Amino acid sequence: MMQPFSLPGCVWQFGAAIVATICFAVAFQTPRRHFLSCGLTGAVGWIVYVLGTAAGLSAPVATLVAALPLTGFARFFAIAHKAPITLFLLCGIFPLVPGAGIYYTAYYLLLNEEQLFAAKGVETLKTAVALALGIAIVCSIPLPRTVSRHQYRGPKQTR
Amino acid sequence: MRDRALELVVEAGKTMLENGGEVFRAQDTMEIMARSLGVEGFHVYVLTNGIFASAESAAGESSAVRHIPRVRIHLGRVEAVNALSRRLAAGQTDLPGAEAALAEARALPEYGPRMAWLAGAVGSACFGYLFGGAAPEIVTAFFAGLAEMLLLRLFARGGVSKVFTDIAGAAVCTALCLAAAPLWGAGYRAPRAIIGALMVLTPGVSLTMAIRDLINADYLSGTIRLFDALLVAGCLACGVALTYIAANTLLGVPL
Repeated sequence: MMQPFSLPGCVWQFGAAIVATICFAVAFQTPRRHFLSCGLTGAVGWIVYVLGTAAGLSAPVATLVAALPLTGFARFFAIAHKAPITLFLLCGIFPLVPGAGIYYTAYYLLLNEEQLFAAKGVETLKTAVALALGIAIVCSIPLPRTVSRHQYRGPKQTR
Repeated sequence: MRDRALELVVEAGKTMLENGGEVFRAQDTMEIMARSLGVEGFHVYVLTNGIFASAESAAGESSAVRHIPRVRIHLGRVEAVNALSRRLAAGQTDLPGAEAALAEARALPEYGPRMAWLAGAVGSACFGYLFGGAAPEIVTAFFAGLAEMLLLRLFARGGVSKVFTDIAGAAVCTALCLAAAPLWGAGYRAPRAIIGALMVLTPGVSLTMAIRDLINADYLSGTIRLFDALLVAGCLACGVALTYIAANTLLGVPL
C-alpha cells in the first residue's frame, strides 16, 4: 500500500516524510530548534524503507534495514545537539510504525477473513519487533568515551 | 539538606517519566544526579509508572515513592531535565540552582492549540500521500486529521477516558473518510485516507518502547507498555470496525 516506485517520487516522498515527522515533533512538544533534525531522521528511515521494499524485501526486513540509518542519524543529532536521543528517535520512527498494519488487521477481522487477519497481525508484530531490534542494534554500538562521560564520576564542588 | 537532594532527584526522574522519557534514561539520570549532589547510599527502582528510591544520611534513612499514572509526551521537558543533570555532573550548578532549573523545566509551555491542529491535519495528509494516496485521499486525510485533533482536545477537556477517546477518534476519521467518497467519485480509495488519518493515533511510541524495554531485559516495564500499545491498537480497530459496520448496515456502504 505505497506509492509506485520512481526516482522523482522518492524526492517527493522524502519531503513528505520530513513534514510528517515534523508534525509528530510538534505533537510531542519537541523544541523548535530540533525540528529539522527530527524531520531528516524520519525521512532517511522512510526512504531506505521505500528503497528496500522496491528491492523486494518484505515489510519487516525493510523496516529493520531502515531502522539502522534512522537510529544512526538520531544518535548523530543527539551527540551534535547534546540532547537525549529520544527526541529524534520518537519522532523519527513514526513513518515506519506499522499503522497500516493495524488498520488491515482490524479490517480483516471485520470481514471474518481469519487467515488474512492472522497473517496481517503477525506481520504487524514482526514489523514492530524489527523496528525495535534495529534501534537496539545501533544504540548498543559503543562509542569512544567522551570527556562528559567521565565528568559523571563524581561531584565537583564549585568552579 | 540530604532529603532536599533526594526530593530533587526523584522529582527529576518523575518529570522525565511523565513526559515520555525512557525507563532506563530516568534511572541513569537519577543516579548521575544523586552522585553529583553527594546523596549517600542512593538506590532507585524505576518502572514505566513508578519510582521507588531510598538514600542514607546522618539523620537516618529516607525514602521516596512516586506514582506516574499518565504520560503526556513533552520532549522539551525531557531534554531540559537531561541538560540539568549534565550541568549538575559538570559542577556548574548547586542544589538551589538545580531546584529552580527543574521548576523551570516543568513549566515549559506547550505549543498552542492551533499549532497542534495544523500538525495533526498536515501529518495526516502527508501520511495519506506516503501510503499511496493521490489528491482526493490527501485532502480527505487532512480534514479527517483536523477533526480528530479537535475531538481529542474536546475529550481531553471533558476528562473522557483514554479507551473511549481512541475508539471515538478512529470512528470519526473512518466516518469522515467514508462520507467523502461520493464527493470524489470513482478512483477514491477510502482506506488510504483512513490509514493516513489513523497514523496520528497509532501507539507507535508505546509499541516501540515496549520492545526496547523487553530487549533491555526490563520485562515488567516492557509488559506495561506492550499492554498499553495493544489496548490502543484494539481501540482503533474497534472504532474502524464499528464505523464500517454502521455504514454498511445503515447506508449500505460496501465493506
